[in-house]
Amino acid sequence: MSIEVRDLSFRYGKIVALDGVTVRLGEGAVGLLGPNGAGKSTFLRILLGFLAPERGQGKVLDYDIRREQAMIRRSVGYMPESDCFIAGMDAVTFTSYFGELSGMPRQEAMKRAHEVLFYVGLGEARYRLLDTYSAGMKQRLKLAQALVHDPKILFLDEPTSNLDPTGRQEVLELIRDISTHKSIQVLLSSHILDDIEKLCETVVILKQGRVAAEGRMADLRATHYSLYEVRIKGDGAAFRRDLEGAGSHVDETEDGLIKIYMPEASDRMDIFRAASRTGVQLRSFVKSRTSLEDLFAGVVGVD
Amino acid sequence: MAATVREKGYSHWDGQLAERRFPWWPITRTGIQLAFRKKRFKLAFAGAFIPSFVFLVGLYISERLEDFKSFLQGSDRLLNISPKYFATYFTNDSLLFMIVLVLTFGAGGIIADDLRHSSLQLYFARPLGKKDYLLGKMSVIAFFTLLYTAVPGIVLILFKLIFAGSFKFFLQYPWLPLSVLADSALLTVFFGFYVLLLSSVSKNSRYVIILMFGVYIFSSVLYGILNSIFRTPYTALVSVPANLQQAGAFLFGQKLPYAVPAVWSFVVLAAICVLAAIVLNRKIRSVEVIK
Repeated sequence: MSIEVRDLSFRYGKIVALDGVTVRLGEGAVGLLGPNGAGKSTFLRILLGFLAPERGQGKVLDYDIRREQAMIRRSVGYMPESDCFIAGMDAVTFTSYFGELSGMPRQEAMKRAHEVLFYVGLGEARYRLLDTYSAGMKQRLKLAQALVHDPKILFLDEPTSNLDPTGRQEVLELIRDISTHKSIQVLLSSHILDDIEKLCETVVILKQGRVAAEGRMADLRATHYSLYEVRIKGDGAAFRRDLEGAGSHVDETEDGLIKIYMPEASDRMDIFRAASRTGVQLRSFVKSRTSLEDLFAGVVGVD
Repeated sequence: MAATVREKGYSHWDGQLAERRFPWWPITRTGIQLAFRKKRFKLAFAGAFIPSFVFLVGLYISERLEDFKSFLQGSDRLLNISPKYFATYFTNDSLLFMIVLVLTFGAGGIIADDLRHSSLQLYFARPLGKKDYLLGKMSVIAFFTLLYTAVPGIVLILFKLIFAGSFKFFLQYPWLPLSVLADSALLTVFFGFYVLLLSSVSKNSRYVIILMFGVYIFSSVLYGILNSIFRTPYTALVSVPANLQQAGAFLFGQKLPYAVPAVWSFVVLAAICVLAAIVLNRKIRSVEVIK
């Protein structure tokens, strides 16, 4: 296991940010999901060794998160969410600078900076001042500085924000290449569920500082709930109340499609029974394949 | 964007990441290089050597008084090379102002720019501590300050010996190099904390530049105002340059320019440094590494 934490807890004053988080993450790309305030950033901060957990323990690449923080930071590449650069520098100097600060010899860092800048698609612009870079270019630059020292794990915080559709696609392709062919593990924190769905096999969903769901996406889809999509004629509100009373989560789209997230233990016949009880006519009934968005909505309970 | 992703493939680096003995050194080197990319800094950098050049010329003339007799017209008393001559170099207003000028243009944004562009999180995602970061930044300031203090000070002593052709001067004042180094160290430490403090209070480097000049000049203006009201030399303690001059005169064993015990100036300067350390500790720690 490259990341393993047990009973991790942390609070900012009285606010509980993490409460007994236990996860074991292996190879490949892992998605970190959760609504605002769920504890994603705190989790990453603790993994990077910036915060000492109040309780619990953990290891990143077998380095203790409490005692071996420098080793963790040497082995991890971090791409922050916000724009960050150094004014007056060009991309080559910037990237090699952070390679050097990671512990690379100066010449090697410079050589490597050229390579990763070409890799992320900034080869032609590598001598341009960073002040003149577009938002998309800065995003790629952040990925380059995270890769320059050839980390074993990449922590990516919203890697596709600020990108146009083409740029987003290209960066996703890069991340997929890194995680599948380059034996670099990726921990991807993103609010764009589609990105995580495209890239990650494993997902950790945090809710109010606790792990709401964790595991392979396929398993989670199968084990947590079933999704049914129905169309009805009649009193939708009563039908919805009846289902929610039985423990299901119900969403309705603008075009009248009702999505019913049924707990694993429930029987789909309950939907028909609810329809019968509330005098609703079922016009269509489809068992749907759950998307990550559905999974997220089902587990976290937000639309 | 014209460039396409993956013009070249990704390959692993086969080297070994090393634990640096001085992890802050790349920060210092890069900080110095970045300063030289600014046009107005280059001008200030060159201009700040004028005081040392003038004092070097004075030193040369002092050894050739006969040749320059008609030119000097009785002002040769000024060219009596003694510790006072060196104290005058280290405490003269023009040198101190030039140092402030160089540091303002070269290092005004040294932390402010990192705060503005959120790059602190990149530093601390590396195996660097707060101490390394601040040491790296302070070393940039130390480099420039020493370039105008310790280096010319030692060079002036050496040229005095070369021009005189004997070690008599050195034997007469063997402690002088130590005074030069002590005052250089004082100025370096003070300006280090002064610049880092002001650079960390704002994300806007232009505002920092105004602050650096403003605090330095306004403290002297304030001294003038307070002195005219209270008529006491202790009012000099509010002036940054006055305290530096007072401490400098003390370290060179010269008559103090203000009738105040020198220890008070050291206390004031130390207090500013302590305040700076506290503010820096809070400012750098308060930056979110991951937002």
